[in-house]
Amino acid sequence: METAIKKNTITDKLLAEFEASKPALFGDLSLREEAMRSFLKQGIPNRKSEEYKYVNIDAMLKGEFSFFTYRPLMVKQISNTRFLKGAINIVLVNGRCEEKLSDMTSFPKGLEIGYIADASFNEVFQKHFSKYADINTDAFIALNTALANGGAFIHVAKGAVIESPIHLINISSAEESTFVNSRNLIVVEENAQVKLIESFESVDCTAKTFTNSITEMVVEAGAIVDYTKIENENEQGYLINTTQVYQKEKSVVTANTITLSGSFVRNNLNVALDGEHIETHLNGLYLTNENQVVDNHTLVDHRKPNCNSNELYKGIIEDKSSATFNGKIFVRIDAQKTNAFQSNKNILLSDEGTINTKPQLEIYADDVKCSHGTSTGKLDADKIFYLRARGLSEISAKKLLMHAFASEVVDAIKIESLREYIEEKISKRFE
Amino acid sequence: MLSIKNLHASIGGKEILKGINLEVKAGEVHAIMGPNGSGKSTLSAVLAGREEYEVTEGEVIFNGKNLLEMPPEDRAREGIFLAFQYPVEIPGVSNVNFLKTALNEIRAYKGLEPMEAKDFLARLKEKQKLVELDGKLANRSVNEGFSGGEKKRNEIFQMAMLEPKLAILDETDSGLDIDALRIVANGVNKLKSPDNASIVITHYQRLLDYIIPDVVHILYNGRIVKTGPKELALELEEKGYDFIKEEVGA
Amino acid sequence: MANELLAEQISKEYEYGFVTDIESENAPKGLNEDIIRFISKKKNEPQWMLDYRLKAYRYWLTLEEPHWAHVTYPKPDFQNIIYYSVPKQKKQLNSLDEVDPELLKTYEKLGISMEEQKRLSGVESRIAVDFVMDSVSVKTTFKETLAEKGIIFCSFGEAVQEHPELIKKYMGSVVPYADNFYAALNSAVFTDGSFCYIPKGVRCPMELSTYFRINSAGTGQFERTLIVADEDSYVSYLEGCTAPMRDENQLHAAVVEIVAHKNGEVKYSTVQNWYPGDKNGKGGIFNFVTKRGICLEDNSKISWTQVETGSAVTWKYPSVILKGDNSVGEFYSVAVTNNYQQADTGTKMMHLGKNTRSTIISKGISAGFSNNSYRGLVRISKGATNARNFSQCDSLLMGDKCGAHTYPYIEIKDKSGIVEHEATTSKIGEDQLFYCKSRGIDNEKAIGLIVNGYCKEVLNKLPMEFAVEAQKLLAVSLEGSVG
Repeated sequence: METAIKKNTITDKLLAEFEASKPALFGDLSLREEAMRSFLKQGIPNRKSEEYKYVNIDAMLKGEFSFFTYRPLMVKQISNTRFLKGAINIVLVNGRCEEKLSDMTSFPKGLEIGYIADASFNEVFQKHFSKYADINTDAFIALNTALANGGAFIHVAKGAVIESPIHLINISSAEESTFVNSRNLIVVEENAQVKLIESFESVDCTAKTFTNSITEMVVEAGAIVDYTKIENENEQGYLINTTQVYQKEKSVVTANTITLSGSFVRNNLNVALDGEHIETHLNGLYLTNENQVVDNHTLVDHRKPNCNSNELYKGIIEDKSSATFNGKIFVRIDAQKTNAFQSNKNILLSDEGTINTKPQLEIYADDVKCSHGTSTGKLDADKIFYLRARGLSEISAKKLLMHAFASEVVDAIKIESLREYIEEKISKRFE
Repeated sequence: MLSIKNLHASIGGKEILKGINLEVKAGEVHAIMGPNGSGKSTLSAVLAGREEYEVTEGEVIFNGKNLLEMPPEDRAREGIFLAFQYPVEIPGVSNVNFLKTALNEIRAYKGLEPMEAKDFLARLKEKQKLVELDGKLANRSVNEGFSGGEKKRNEIFQMAMLEPKLAILDETDSGLDIDALRIVANGVNKLKSPDNASIVITHYQRLLDYIIPDVVHILYNGRIVKTGPKELALELEEKGYDFIKEEVGA
Repeated sequence: MANELLAEQISKEYEYGFVTDIESENAPKGLNEDIIRFISKKKNEPQWMLDYRLKAYRYWLTLEEPHWAHVTYPKPDFQNIIYYSVPKQKKQLNSLDEVDPELLKTYEKLGISMEEQKRLSGVESRIAVDFVMDSVSVKTTFKETLAEKGIIFCSFGEAVQEHPELIKKYMGSVVPYADNFYAALNSAVFTDGSFCYIPKGVRCPMELSTYFRINSAGTGQFERTLIVADEDSYVSYLEGCTAPMRDENQLHAAVVEIVAHKNGEVKYSTVQNWYPGDKNGKGGIFNFVTKRGICLEDNSKISWTQVETGSAVTWKYPSVILKGDNSVGEFYSVAVTNNYQQADTGTKMMHLGKNTRSTIISKGISAGFSNNSYRGLVRISKGATNARNFSQCDSLLMGDKCGAHTYPYIEIKDKSGIVEHEATTSKIGEDQLFYCKSRGIDNEKAIGLIVNGYCKEVLNKLPMEFAVEAQKLLAVSLEGSVG
């Protein structure tokens, strides 16, 4: 056969891995096979594909990868990653749920957390799994749906108010190149409230880790979810992070995406507003330096009338790093009286840095209020001068201004200890 | 204070309220609960004077006056306040200017002079504290760019400023996280006096943990089908609205 | 105060639609070189002025009308327009008593005082007015007071006679006759307008104002305004316009040029209320205007503020060329269209100098069956380092038969430039009005509150007297469009 003559491409390796791991996959195998077929049809995206035009995925996937790396980490090795006060911590190492590192003993009433593979017989899982992240829209969604072998399942029962934040700690840890497909399903039932934090860290990691993570989140009527992602991997970390949010009427979702480090980070944050009187807030902050590549894609899909969405993404770009913001607001014909706002602001600190910003408004309803704004500039020379005239050094004046620029996003984070943690990270970064 | 007798109302020819009877006395807090589509929001809209709704039968007497004959602004001037479920944004009109206009219109209706600027500012500051509203929000345009929670808080702030006799809170809890809910409820409780009354409309029982009602009514299919003490709300939450459906044999 | 004015005005229709019964002297209809010679002769112009006109006319003949704007209208018949119309009066006026009483009545109806001691509407500050009716300037007030400071404020025709060196130096330096179709036409046939020169180091002590009025039937109005602010000087200039209600469309094609020298500042405000046509779109003024200023030298500033409620069709882009380093250009606009009005308006900010800054705030309000477009260009040329622009374009729709369009063009040739653009479109609806009512505010007050709130950032830029007039106009223009 012709395929046999082909050289050993990444696609071939992924297919081989799929065939080998088939017996161990959780959930419905026919779905897995369909997803693999969809992936093979789409292939690994290259620069010609509009959605990935600013990144070179092929180059990142050169060389050999292991698909499952077991790392028995010690509690003290990961203690820094458990930074949230009063949180329920769930630790996943290379996608695998580590019970002894996590707080899995008892949960508040109405909360259920488990390893995603264990949940696959659960009714809630069966009702929602893979119903929102469409395998035919993105090759990495297809690939994850085919290969996912780790991740968490979180279920908040109707009317439950979970006051302690839940912290999902994703740790990359490897001595040889590792490819992780991790998958979370979060279901928040009617009138429930929950705060979720997902962080991505490298611990004892000396080899390249390529993580393809997907979180599907279902937010039922009247539910309120506060969700923050913090991406903080080391220079060996390559991360594609897809979040698919599905909201029903009168629900409120706030999603904060904070990208601090990692060689490559691609965020796909897609929100479907499928009910009336929904509120969605998307906040993003990316601080890039050296050769980092950070690419944020957001899609806000207004499907029903009378909803509000509000999006603010800010970035500071240093050195030879590159950042992309591609934000799409889609207002369907039925979504009258939509209120949608989008703003992307960037500070470019070097001549070699790159920023690509592409706001897209696609509006098919006629009675809507939509706006977008974008700006890219340097630090305001007048302000720097003013501060220097008050005795600050140029460096500290710049630091102060960058901090002020970032704080608009950080201030939107409601959990105090989380906000403090991020502020500290930012301060360190600008030292 | 408020007396509703056999109120029927319809929209677009479809009857939503099918004979509501309700008596609210000064100093009382009434909760109205009901499933989606039971007519809760229609009741508040009819009381506030939304023109799309047609009252086909019955009467509403508010402090001895026929409420149904009044345009919405006169109802407001007589002391009815509706805290909207979905407060509207008015770009370019600052909260302060909006409230000053409203307050002085209400005063003019009562034959009073416009409020002195310094008295107005003093009241503004005092009431802001009550709902822990950021001073910055007061200077921004009415509800523009506010989150859902801020809008709800702003409604209670307006209520505090206008000092109505009867406040109708239409699903003020929806879209509020638990912290904001506590603040809003706290504000409402502080405004309670022997001279005013409120009607709290809600789908869920949670709000009633914080605003304790004197009476709970269950609205179902355009009628009040059950009235009881505050415990009725808990029972409803536990058993769900289906139990009402069974009980009334619908 | 604004609210009372609104309440008082809200029920009025176009109130400047009267015709003044004044005898006027007209040129025959149509356009040819003889007509241009006729105009030039009537105005007793020197040869160089006639030559300029003829050059412009011959160039105009080679042009076609522009079509790119988002407006549709019957092409004006340029041979069916009277290009020269002058209210007849007895030679030079010695005192106010000699002015035709009909003319005085006109001013009264417009609320403009010809007598220097009177005030526009009881407001304190003083305004010097140049009154242009149809083709010529009729009367300029406060001339002597201004002359004491060395300020020249007179009709354009007078300036050609008295200050030819200034006119030769500046006329056409910002808007050359070859600039566009209507600028060429204007350069050929302009009849009058205002000229203003502020000498070095002088801050003009009062607002200067020109009041334009089209009175005669069948005439076109082609005036020119030229404002020069010399080094370290400042002037605030106001322009108002009205016209009678007529079933025919009348053409107004003006040119305004502004030059700001080093540290000079010009603030130019317009309240444009030409007759917009009736409820069915019949009649009204075609308002095709070229307005441009140049910040010629360092640290100069030009600011355009306009409230546009009139005209059947408007085509107008007050622009600033930011040539001097650190110069500043501003554009604040409220454009209201109702019934069948069409407006395609906006600005151009051309950044050439270093550290130049521009601000654009545009507020469009569309009601009825009207169409309202914002068209703006921000260009940061190579070498214009650290240039900055902020643009905000908001559209407010009233009802669902009208249209609002935004066409921003942004060209950045210099990497250090910062351009920010924000745009919103919103709708006034029953919901907002009901919300106001349920707080005790009635319908009329609510509309006034909402519209004035929406336009606040622009109205705040107008001088006091104009802001009051503008608020009245907004209410009148939008009467009956909601609720």
